[in-house]
Amino acid sequence: MSTNKKVNVLACSGMGKVYGLMAREAVLHTVKHLCPEQAKTLCLAYIVTGEEEALAGFDHQPCITVDGCPAMCSAKSVAAMGGDIQEEVKVLDIMKLHKGAKPGTATELTPEGWAITEEIAAKIADRVEEIQKEGK
Amino acid sequence: MSDKYAVLPCNGLDKCAGQMTKEIALLLCEGTQNEIICPVFYRVADARYDKIAKENPLLVLDGCGTRCASKLAGEKGLKIFRKMTVTEEAQKRGVTLPTDTLRLGDEEIALCTALEDELSKEEIAAPVQVVQKVEFPAPAEYLIHKKDKFIFRVPAAGFYFSENDCWLQVIGNRARIGITDFMQQSLSDIMFFTPPPIGAELEQFDEAGNVESGKAVFELVCPVSGKVVAVNTELLTAPERINENPYEQGWVAELELSNFDEEKDFLLNTEAYMKILKKKVDEFHVNKQKS
Amino acid sequence: MAEELKIGVVSCSGEDCAGGTISRLATRKMMDSIRPDNTVTICLPLFLAGGQEERAFAKEYPTIAVDGCKRACAKQATEKYSGKVNSVVFVSDLISDEVSEGPALSTRDLTAEHQAMVDKVAVEITKQFDAIMNEKGKEATTPKGSSCGCGCNC
Repeated sequence: MSTNKKVNVLACSGMGKVYGLMAREAVLHTVKHLCPEQAKTLCLAYIVTGEEEALAGFDHQPCITVDGCPAMCSAKSVAAMGGDIQEEVKVLDIMKLHKGAKPGTATELTPEGWAITEEIAAKIADRVEEIQKEGK
Repeated sequence: MSDKYAVLPCNGLDKCAGQMTKEIALLLCEGTQNEIICPVFYRVADARYDKIAKENPLLVLDGCGTRCASKLAGEKGLKIFRKMTVTEEAQKRGVTLPTDTLRLGDEEIALCTALEDELSKEEIAAPVQVVQKVEFPAPAEYLIHKKDKFIFRVPAAGFYFSENDCWLQVIGNRARIGITDFMQQSLSDIMFFTPPPIGAELEQFDEAGNVESGKAVFELVCPVSGKVVAVNTELLTAPERINENPYEQGWVAELELSNFDEEKDFLLNTEAYMKILKKKVDEFHVNKQKS
Repeated sequence: MAEELKIGVVSCSGEDCAGGTISRLATRKMMDSIRPDNTVTICLPLFLAGGQEERAFAKEYPTIAVDGCKRACAKQATEKYSGKVNSVVFVSDLISDEVSEGPALSTRDLTAEHQAMVDKVAVEITKQFDAIMNEKGKEATTPKGSSCGCGCNC
């Protein structure tokens, strides 16, 4: 059984670390290029600070959070606002597979950084597909 | 080798290195009393392997940096006696593992044999669990230095420090070492941890393992001389503990001290370290804002 | 010696519109090159998720909120957790609404036009930034407690 509901994918977008930029870009790549019909992103800050309009339909919808560091801002905020988190993607878990990589800065990614970002995006896209098939 | 070991391979099926852990495990167990733990089965059923894993020294074989076997050991609360990561060993030996096939060729089999040989012949130090456990109390109070939005903590008492940003906590003839809050913040997210070998006799200022973040590799400079009697195995799967709590859960190693009375003259107390810390913070922030 | 003045710049995270990316890049520019010695960027997601260091800094130091759109998430969050912001820069006031509320923008897709928008926003942030620095600088040098107005502290 599959669902027509789009999966919400929310990045932490942390300003201070390159991993925050990677989280953000991975989510953009997923929702714009890899599975635009199946996933969408939302402003994390708007979900937290916004009025009822921001949360309309958000709570209890399947979500994937993507966090750049152990602070887990996206996972924490999404959980606090009632999102149904199906997967918590951690950029650092994928970085651990690339010892010695230099992904760039919080302003700009290197080609190596983009390659790893696309790997993260592919992982997110796979999970989006699974969630849709599970009919959540 | 000891009489019997529990061997936990990651058995990763999607990489050559993962396939190699299975081969190494098989070589370790053939004709010996060693037992393989199936990681898949262990994840769903504790009863089958808990006794074997807890009563025998545990050898963990990870294929790659994901370290699934180490993580599983961590989840099960097991003390890792010795671990090996195939991709790291291959790199050390200049062997390039294939990426276009999962089948093991002659070169991969030869490497498996060499790694098994190394594990089998190595003189093994006494297992960690027989070393007398010493309680290291958490700091009762921290002193704080603030710079912009950054807060740097230093235990108010009971700790020594080195100029290399390592700390030392001494109880009797035992000491724990680790890295300071300033250093862990400078490094940012720590992703890899290489401990000093258990049993190693370190001189003051020898290397005592290293940690690696996206920014840098930091070699711990051992603040005192002693024999390594324990390492914080939790850091193998969760090195971020150092970032979270550098003076407590993030401790790196324990040593049996050999010359502390003379060597402590080269160490700093809290007050002296705070002075150095403030200077380093000012210098670091000039550079950090520009990086 | 007086401590160097610092100003916190809080950018919205704006994941689903171009204004968010421009806001973010202009803020990073403040820290990277325009006012590196005095800018402290405050990570909005961390701020919202309970980051005590971020919140404490924003309470103690002046802040500028940079918002990609009129939802004003950075401004609202700062006011909620740390008190009034000193200044707000709305990206949509400086570039057209059509662009700022347009589809999310990856840093990989930045055009020269986008870069020019980033620079325009950065100029405005710098203006607000310098105004606050001047004001704080004056406050720091103005003698306090003088009752007769001659500065003698009598």
